[in-house]
Amino acid sequence: MTHAEIHQKLTPIFRDVFDDPAIEIKDTMTAKDVPGWDSLTYVNLIVAVEKAFAVSFTTKEVKSLVNVGALIELLAKRTA
Amino acid sequence: MSFLSFEFALFVGLALLIFYLAPPRSRPCLLLVFSYVFYLSWSPVHALLLAAVSGGVYLAGLSIAKCGSEKGKFARMTLGVAMLLVLLFAFKSAVWFSRMFHADPAMSIIVPLGLSYYVFKMVGYLMDVYWETLPAQNNFVTLALYGAFFPQIVSGPVQRAGDFFGQIGKLQNPDPGEFAAGLRRILFGLFKKIVIADYLAAPVASVHADPSRFSSLELLFGAYCFAIELYADFSGITDIAIGIGQLFGIKGPENFDLPYYSPNIQMFWRRWHMSLTSWLTDYLFTPLRMSLRTLGSAGLYLAVVLNFIAIGLWHGLTWVFFFFGLLNGIYMVVSVMTLKQRNRFFQARPALAQIRAITGPLITFHLMVFAMIFFRSETLSSAFKYVGSMVPGWGNRSVTFGRFDQALLGVAFRPLMLCFIAFFASEAVTWAARRQICVDWFFTMPVFFRRALYCALAATVLLFFKDSLTFIYARF
Repeated sequence: MTHAEIHQKLTPIFRDVFDDPAIEIKDTMTAKDVPGWDSLTYVNLIVAVEKAFAVSFTTKEVKSLVNVGALIELLAKRTA
Repeated sequence: MSFLSFEFALFVGLALLIFYLAPPRSRPCLLLVFSYVFYLSWSPVHALLLAAVSGGVYLAGLSIAKCGSEKGKFARMTLGVAMLLVLLFAFKSAVWFSRMFHADPAMSIIVPLGLSYYVFKMVGYLMDVYWETLPAQNNFVTLALYGAFFPQIVSGPVQRAGDFFGQIGKLQNPDPGEFAAGLRRILFGLFKKIVIADYLAAPVASVHADPSRFSSLELLFGAYCFAIELYADFSGITDIAIGIGQLFGIKGPENFDLPYYSPNIQMFWRRWHMSLTSWLTDYLFTPLRMSLRTLGSAGLYLAVVLNFIAIGLWHGLTWVFFFFGLLNGIYMVVSVMTLKQRNRFFQARPALAQIRAITGPLITFHLMVFAMIFFRSETLSSAFKYVGSMVPGWGNRSVTFGRFDQALLGVAFRPLMLCFIAFFASEAVTWAARRQICVDWFFTMPVFFRRALYCALAATVLLFFKDSLTFIYARF
């Protein structure tokens, strides 16, 4: 999948997990930019992403994600 | 050598003098020497254990980093973490067994000073190296100092390895502003501990010694007092630890952010003992939640409860701490399950949202006051006896519901009111300082007024000072 396709597919997942229909995701976005993004919702987000993209992440991969851009990059590798 | 002794003050003064007279390159080594001198004053045998742990973790970190295969890295990290946790568990369970079998107190096992803190720091370091979020530390002095850093060894805060390592390479001459801030922080911590926490310790000890002698009102008062005592005591020692660190040019993480005004339980645990809870979130909750994610919501709730039981048992392997953790886990699960619905309900009713702004912190505070009855009790049965005695008409007690016997509680009205005023004033200062409100105004005041204020605080601390004072969290 391309960067743009992943971006498009991720947006409704973010909106659903963080219960905010107005969220617009950016590569530089981190937990600090999204109200309600905490340790609980972060893993919920990862679970939702895994399900939507039919992939599975390790804890090490999840811990290494510094922002949304890193998540998109990881998904691009996995879905290539 | 207790934090609250004149010999410790002398030790810090001398250490600072040597530290800043020495060339910057030698300062990490000097800090390590000071840390071990401090630790040796508690127990030479346990100092050897600390040194052995530091050596083992140093080698384990390098071994993880150098290993070429993912499986090998994982095996090395798992072995290192398991050995650290076995060490922690062995000491904590030995204490539990010695208490259980009523061993001679003189023969009872003593947990090494700061074991819970330095084991968690080292576990975090090894996991960071494995996750590749931090390179392995090549300098043994830096790693050993991370574990042994004396301001943090007694009661934390649990500083992250990356944050600490980054500051060790930059130990320069003192910044006068930071140095003064450190001194102010120590004075503020001493004030909270000696003037607030220790005054409230007497009524708390009275009501917990035999709850059946007290009225419901007195027991409720005792529960409030303990909530304030614990917070003033623990945030006080954290202030002292952060302040001493600042004097040596090392900034420690914050541990509290006005937790008793949290709108819900989730926020409370993000603002109480923050360095430990964020540590557990990263190194226990997230891996646990990830491994239980196939169970859906049940996996989330199980991970939350197990995480909170771990928080409880970190304080000691006792049923009261287990129950304290379990109770908070249940609070958290209920809060997580209903938060989305509650938010939607109040978003649709803006008028009620204003009431929620008041009731949310009140409910959260009282849930924690209730949980802390268990935290303070020696046994689970004494905790339930306390809770039962709070219910008017429970048992055959002749004590009236609303009695408030100051002599029995060991308090007097005027000093008690002054203690509460001091507590709310300290909270107001913390609130203003964190949010940079009135800070500029304070520092533009004439120097004379500020110095007079510091002198008044120091005089109050000296007036209330007793040589035998200890900190609640120093025993964990």
